[in-house]
Amino acid sequence: MATDADKLFKDFKEISVTEFFRKNKAHLGYSGAIRSLTTVIHELVTNSLDACEEAGILPEVTVELHELGEEHYRFVEKDNGPGIPLKHISSVFGKMLAGTKFHRNIQLRGQQGIGVSGVTMFSQMTTGKPLKIRTSTGTEINEIEMMVDISKNKAEIISQNAAEQSPDVAGWRGTEIEGELKDVVYKQGEKSPYEYLRRTALANPHARITFTSPDGKTTVFERSVQDIPNPPVAVLPHPKGITVDDLFNMARASDFRNTSAFLKHSFSRISSAKVHEIESMVGFPLKRRPNGLKWEECEQLVRAFKKVKFLAPSMEGLRPIGETQINNAMLSILDPQFSHCQSRSPLVHSGGVPFQIEVGIAYGGSAGRKTAEGPRAELLRFANRSPLLFDAGGCAITKAVNSIKWSRYGIKKIEEEPVTIFVNVVSTYIPYTSAGKQSIAYEQEIIEEIKKALMEIGRHFERHHARKHRAMEMENKKKALMKYSKEVAGALAKLTGKDSKELLENLKILIEKRFETGALDIEDEQDPEKPEIKKAGGGNLTDYMEGEDEGKP
Amino acid sequence: MKENLSKKEGPDVVKKLGGLGFQIAEDIERHESPKFVVPQRGLGNVSFDEVDNLLVLGDKTSTRSFLNVAHSKKFMQSILIAAKADELVSKGKTASIRELYYQLKHNIEGTKENTFEDQSESDPLIVDLEVALEVLREELHLKADDKGTVIGNIVIEDSGDRIDCSKLGRSGLAIPSIVEHYNFVKFDAQYILVIETGAMFDRLVEEKYHIKNNCIMVSTKGQAARGCRRLVNRMSNELQLPVIVFSDGDPWGYYIYSVLKAGSMALAHESKRLGTPEAKFVGMTMTDIDTYDLHSVTEKLKDVDKKRIDELLQYPWFQKKEWKKELKLMKQKGVRIEQQALASKSLEFVAEEYLPKKIEDGELLP
Repeated sequence: MATDADKLFKDFKEISVTEFFRKNKAHLGYSGAIRSLTTVIHELVTNSLDACEEAGILPEVTVELHELGEEHYRFVEKDNGPGIPLKHISSVFGKMLAGTKFHRNIQLRGQQGIGVSGVTMFSQMTTGKPLKIRTSTGTEINEIEMMVDISKNKAEIISQNAAEQSPDVAGWRGTEIEGELKDVVYKQGEKSPYEYLRRTALANPHARITFTSPDGKTTVFERSVQDIPNPPVAVLPHPKGITVDDLFNMARASDFRNTSAFLKHSFSRISSAKVHEIESMVGFPLKRRPNGLKWEECEQLVRAFKKVKFLAPSMEGLRPIGETQINNAMLSILDPQFSHCQSRSPLVHSGGVPFQIEVGIAYGGSAGRKTAEGPRAELLRFANRSPLLFDAGGCAITKAVNSIKWSRYGIKKIEEEPVTIFVNVVSTYIPYTSAGKQSIAYEQEIIEEIKKALMEIGRHFERHHARKHRAMEMENKKKALMKYSKEVAGALAKLTGKDSKELLENLKILIEKRFETGALDIEDEQDPEKPEIKKAGGGNLTDYMEGEDEGKP
Repeated sequence: MKENLSKKEGPDVVKKLGGLGFQIAEDIERHESPKFVVPQRGLGNVSFDEVDNLLVLGDKTSTRSFLNVAHSKKFMQSILIAAKADELVSKGKTASIRELYYQLKHNIEGTKENTFEDQSESDPLIVDLEVALEVLREELHLKADDKGTVIGNIVIEDSGDRIDCSKLGRSGLAIPSIVEHYNFVKFDAQYILVIETGAMFDRLVEEKYHIKNNCIMVSTKGQAARGCRRLVNRMSNELQLPVIVFSDGDPWGYYIYSVLKAGSMALAHESKRLGTPEAKFVGMTMTDIDTYDLHSVTEKLKDVDKKRIDELLQYPWFQKKEWKKELKLMKQKGVRIEQQALASKSLEFVAEEYLPKKIEDGELLP
């Protein structure tokens, strides 16, 4: 185990961005009291899941939240991952750094957020208290309390002690992180840590996730598949999918002596010939050290990347969840009457970035969003298995889902139905709309592919569930008639002097007759005075969806 | 004086309401779909009778069936209203339409739903019931709030009391929603002037316009309510007085005139009782703007105004050349003008020059 962990951390390259965090915390997901708490949970859980998978461990993640006062909470997050070697602890939690995923272009969840060091920073900035880390790679258990020295971008160890585990019995292995947060609020709803974990569980059926909310309620999202996803293959990033920000960070962390070599060896499909082509387009020599590149120079390089023709990137970096896996997760967590999933074949967007779409639909059972009026439709957006909870309005997934005419597939008013729509966009490079990474840009290829996938599952729903669905609708209509019957019978009795009980009995017989099987397909005539207003899109998901972000960065 | 148009007596109405109840109850007993027929209301079933100059209701009907889920709730609500009206008529009580709403509003057993969520659900169903049974709202013992005022040389008998509308100070008599029981005892007037805004009415009262010009003045306070329209209709018919309307110079004011004259689409079944086809229009017109040099006190048309103008131009009862001209001129000028803009000349101008001159010269629109 220790070797696994060592290997994982050997690529660590440090970037001094502590100050960057202070100035840009809103960009990193720490904006607003609700969102900040969810971001903390996201960073911790993402870290745990990524570490487990890379080490080939079936993840067990536990999250606890305790309310200590107004906007004041304590969190405990635990995993059964490979543990963190002592020498790496301070750099993992104490420095803003670009870890493994930053430089290996693996399709990892952690493309979002700044990483777990952001949690240390946020906790420290709001409470002034250190983070407690308890971790073991299987041998000794290390307990550390630490803070960040902001000016030096260095971990400041407050206390440290180690305890031996008996080598005879299999010892504890994993990581437990505990800390306090202020200026955050736990609120149930679309943006809560609970919802984040529920969605994470849906997209990670191999993980077992336990959550204890501040009111003491514990929910377990059970594991529904036993296979650990194949470890992602490291693929060098393709130049077409690189942003200025990515390039700038990579260049600063680079040890190459000149930019030419940096470009050739840090990216896929950049040959010497292409380096020359790029050099002719930028206004500076590529002999320069890459870690001295200025932001403007990186901008010039990215502009050149856009013009140069490269070979398409390889598809092997993609790591979808899989149809069976999504379906198992939906069956286990949503317990629906009907569900169907589809994983599409990989395609490319932005002129060469591979991506793949996975969609699912679950109907009935615990599917849908809970409201006072009963379950309503919900859209679950994911990017590389990571739930997107914010900025739904401007997201390519939302746009694609809203453009589907669900009535065509036997779902009349989708917003009023107990339905969960699941969309996962898989890519080595997800084109986010902003640094908050909560919304996917309108790339036509992506939108079209999501639409095709949704239409496919829509047709499947129509074929396999529409009949049952219609029967249920009829049942609801019958109930509506039954409840009005008593009123009608009472009023008629007053008008005519007849017996209201008798009238009611007869009305019930009438209604039963009306809804006998075989009468199922009777379509109700529309009220001629008020023709139903035809809505574009035949039922729009935006109407019910979460409002916009509480605090825009 | 002509005679008051006949009004159905209580027992008659009770019989009709009961008839509806029995018919539906029989449907239920025979295990047939319970239903009743309502004439359709709205533009699709309204036509303009050019001879009588009134909007008339066509013969398109729709069927309310309880077993049609789209109708079930309305069906239930209609029966509740019918039963309540029956109770009111039998007891000899009259309720306001708001009271009726509150009397009937309650939770439906075993649900989170109410019989009525809003008065806007019960109001149109009352009209449906009127049309379906061919009875009037007041015959169902339902009334709306008072709206509108009348002042001038007319004595009205109301339930044994005599009201002299020339001796009510500056405020005049508030017009109730039901005026059927009014008897006109005596009057002395040359014509009836109907005024859109309360403020203009007050101005004319202060200038003693009705005394100096020997007329009866009615203020509609916006779109004329049923009671107000019925009173104008009755005074015009029974006292044989000409009716002259004075409204703002905008599509909304012109429509107020149109409703007073030809009836409304929503109540087309009652046009004969509510419309006054002989009514004429004195102002504000678009030509007034030029004649009296009111250019500086006009207001720009808003988008909704323009849209409304286009709608009016489509209505068959706005096809007279004078009205087409006014509406087109309004659109062309892109402005509207309020009655009170005449105050830009002087407060007395409207009472001493504008109205007397236009009426005397017969400068009226049809």
